[in-house]
Amino acid sequence: METWSYIPQLLISGITFGAIYALVGLGFVTIARASQIINFAQGDFVMLGGMMTFFLLKGAGLSYPLAGIFAVAIVILIGFLLHLLVIYPLRKASLPILLMATLGASLFLSSTSALLFGTLPKSLPPFLGRSSFEMGGVSISPQSLFVLGATFLVLLSLYFLSHRTFLGKAMEASSTDPLGADLSGISRNLMIFLAFGVSAGVGSIAGIFITPVFYVNYYSGTLIGLKGFIAAVLGGWGKHGGAILGGFVLGVVESLSVAFIPSGYKDGVAFVILLLILHFRPKGILGSPFIDSRRW
Amino acid sequence: MLLSVEGIVKHYDGVRALNHISFQVRKGTVKGLMGPNGAGKSTLFHLISGVERPDSGRICFKEKEITGLPTHEISRLGVGRTFQTLQVWGNMTVVENVLTGMHSVIRGGLLSCGLSLPWIKKREEAAMKEAKDILELLGLFGRWKWFASQLSYGEQRRLEIARALAAKPEILLLDEPAAGLTYPEAKQLADRLLRLRKAGLTLFLIEHHMGMVMGMADEVAVLNNGELLAEGPPDVVKNNPLVIEAYMVRR
Amino acid sequence: MVDQVQKEFRKRDLLYSGALWLLSLILPDPQLHYRREYRIRKRDLFYLSVLLLLPLIWKDVHFHHLMVLAGIHGILALGLTLFLGYAGQISLGHAAFFGIGSYTTAILTTRYAIPSFFAFWASGLAASFFAYLIGKPILKLKGYFLALATLGFGEIFLVMVRESPGLTGGVIGIFNIPFFSLAGLVFDTYLKQYYLVWGVLSGLVLFSKNLVRSRIGRAFLAVASSEDGASAVGIDVGRVKLAAFVIGASFAGLAGSLFASVMSIANPETFSLNLSVLIVMMVILGGMGNLYGPIAGAIFLTCLIDGLSRYQAYSLPIYGVILILLLIFFPDGIGTRLRVRVIYLISYWGRKKRREKVEI
Repeated sequence: METWSYIPQLLISGITFGAIYALVGLGFVTIARASQIINFAQGDFVMLGGMMTFFLLKGAGLSYPLAGIFAVAIVILIGFLLHLLVIYPLRKASLPILLMATLGASLFLSSTSALLFGTLPKSLPPFLGRSSFEMGGVSISPQSLFVLGATFLVLLSLYFLSHRTFLGKAMEASSTDPLGADLSGISRNLMIFLAFGVSAGVGSIAGIFITPVFYVNYYSGTLIGLKGFIAAVLGGWGKHGGAILGGFVLGVVESLSVAFIPSGYKDGVAFVILLLILHFRPKGILGSPFIDSRRW
Repeated sequence: MLLSVEGIVKHYDGVRALNHISFQVRKGTVKGLMGPNGAGKSTLFHLISGVERPDSGRICFKEKEITGLPTHEISRLGVGRTFQTLQVWGNMTVVENVLTGMHSVIRGGLLSCGLSLPWIKKREEAAMKEAKDILELLGLFGRWKWFASQLSYGEQRRLEIARALAAKPEILLLDEPAAGLTYPEAKQLADRLLRLRKAGLTLFLIEHHMGMVMGMADEVAVLNNGELLAEGPPDVVKNNPLVIEAYMVRR
Repeated sequence: MVDQVQKEFRKRDLLYSGALWLLSLILPDPQLHYRREYRIRKRDLFYLSVLLLLPLIWKDVHFHHLMVLAGIHGILALGLTLFLGYAGQISLGHAAFFGIGSYTTAILTTRYAIPSFFAFWASGLAASFFAYLIGKPILKLKGYFLALATLGFGEIFLVMVRESPGLTGGVIGIFNIPFFSLAGLVFDTYLKQYYLVWGVLSGLVLFSKNLVRSRIGRAFLAVASSEDGASAVGIDVGRVKLAAFVIGASFAGLAGSLFASVMSIANPETFSLNLSVLIVMMVILGGMGNLYGPIAGAIFLTCLIDGLSRYQAYSLPIYGVILILLLIFFPDGIGTRLRVRVIYLISYWGRKKRREKVEI
């Protein structure tokens, strides 16, 4: 009986984590819609977003909003650099090489951040004080609401960008048919370049919003990135709505699992879900537009 | 009947690619399949060779139903095929392509291959001899040490046929074997195919080269928009008004 | 005048071809694996003799230790290259099979006092058994999704190891694993372990060579190149992939067993994603579709990591940058590209000389 009383509280924390996974997953989706590349350094954008804000807030003494904006700008710059220095020179390389290159970049980013900001875990103060309010016997921290709001806003703007603007259409064209896009005058490399910037921005925003919720360490980017990727696959690879849905499902299931199995297994839950979804429905819950055409 | 197709239906996202197609291929004959682009010819080949499943209908090979079997099992039963878009293995030499075609003929397990036991060596040598014979037959013997990717387009087409022959098929499905070949090359290919037929092989080919089909085939079937327009000896089909309309008037 | 120039050419050509021959002895031919005339050849004997003599000439204990590690990494890379380089499938969970091998040996030798020789074979079997179980469902995936699924398997393996301290010793791991011993001979010094590891590796290379030239190896290459073409000639694509996966895993299991009995410790930290990435890097930098390349890659990367470790905190960023640069400049393997470059340089030098001669 004891475990059932925890369920509402676990649900709330699951939704908060779900929103984070959804934000990270959106970063993956942005790049996937512009190219076939999967950027394993996506999680490190998240980590860097949090770290940079912490450094600018505590080290450079900027105000909170200013520190956030500068951090996002710096991480977007890193995203652009990642494309120019790693992805662009390898634009004709085969899949395992691209995969290894982004993993190498991830290694570089995380270890450099350990070097610059130290190996101690960092946490930002919450946006509005520390108090959390009670609702129906469940305590909700305002930060969770902020995370949800940010997810919603990022989703809306990305959706608008990719479905209502010419740029988004061009990006999608260069992903689904690279040669055709090239022939119709869309610069594929420019599209991928922009997508890296956007996804780095989305990642850093996620980082800023989650660092008050839990401690961010220099190596935590890898796991967050992987879970965001799993969320994107779970919901339907390449769909914005899919990443959001997958993120929430993943967050809630992972959180609820704590009530039933030892908490040490929590990190394994996401990967078990991944193996199940890949085996039974690789298209994801909402159905991916990309899977069949590329025969993944 | 070597191969018989009964009432095949196939849809793609609501578009009817094939609509209740039925026909038969007799042993030892050459059957031609013709039709304008998008008539469903390649789809039919995909269905027979098991790459895709029909929505309804039956495909029988040697009186045994093969509908829905995986491709490799259909191939092992004796249905060889080539592809419209070339699928030769460019990372191997020509003779290795043919040897790989004999994959299910050679036999040998993981461990015995890894330890290179004496009987494996013996089988490999025999297979090599046979592969060279097949290459000789298709006029590729002079190229046996080359990489498949270094061959010209016409040679790659012939290599695909050689590879399919290596699997010892009873019927060979050829998807536009003369596409992209010059006229003399196509003529030479037709001669080679006829020689195979004399050796007892049944051929079933998709072809646009009117002259080649009419010269080679014992029987011709014409597809249009997923429907079987006409079937019969080449001379009869050639003068069928429906066929003439499908090929000429619609343009 | 013309006669003289031609004589010069002949002498020079002899020089170039000599240089190229020397080169071919050291660096593998990039297309070696395509020519399936694999017999024991001069190059193999050359490698083998270098292998035998090297530790006797260079009697540095640290070097011996490094080469033991490199040999274990070499076995791992050799196993993965059958899967990645030949069958063209990617795996980021290879470290898990290494771990399964290690823990099998650790548990069998410490708990049940089974001789390490039998534990060695049991490790290979255990790893291939798990590979068979996991490979059946996930090998229908391709590309990134296969990478992700295998990575997921690796992470699940780590969680299981950490969370079952009764069996695996949890986060701390298992200590005091006895050294490998065979018929009273205990492999307790680095020199003995060197010969053990590289002996096993040589045996596995021979096995892989036979395999690669047989029908199974051809099926691997066919599946990597065109799955449609492969299934059209009766190759069961799923089974071939599974075979490549299981062989790769069994090699990793054997390597894990050697690792456990050489280091006498099995700890979950060793088998993380970093090791999987390292193995894939060895295969890529060594050159795909080549048996010696990955081993050379293993030696190179093991030495690189050892060399970088003296920079402590800076070693990881430097390592990351070097990896990316190597990938950018040698995408088809260091040996392959280097050979092409050196041949180009030699021939360029030759051409230049000739041009000068002719202009006179």
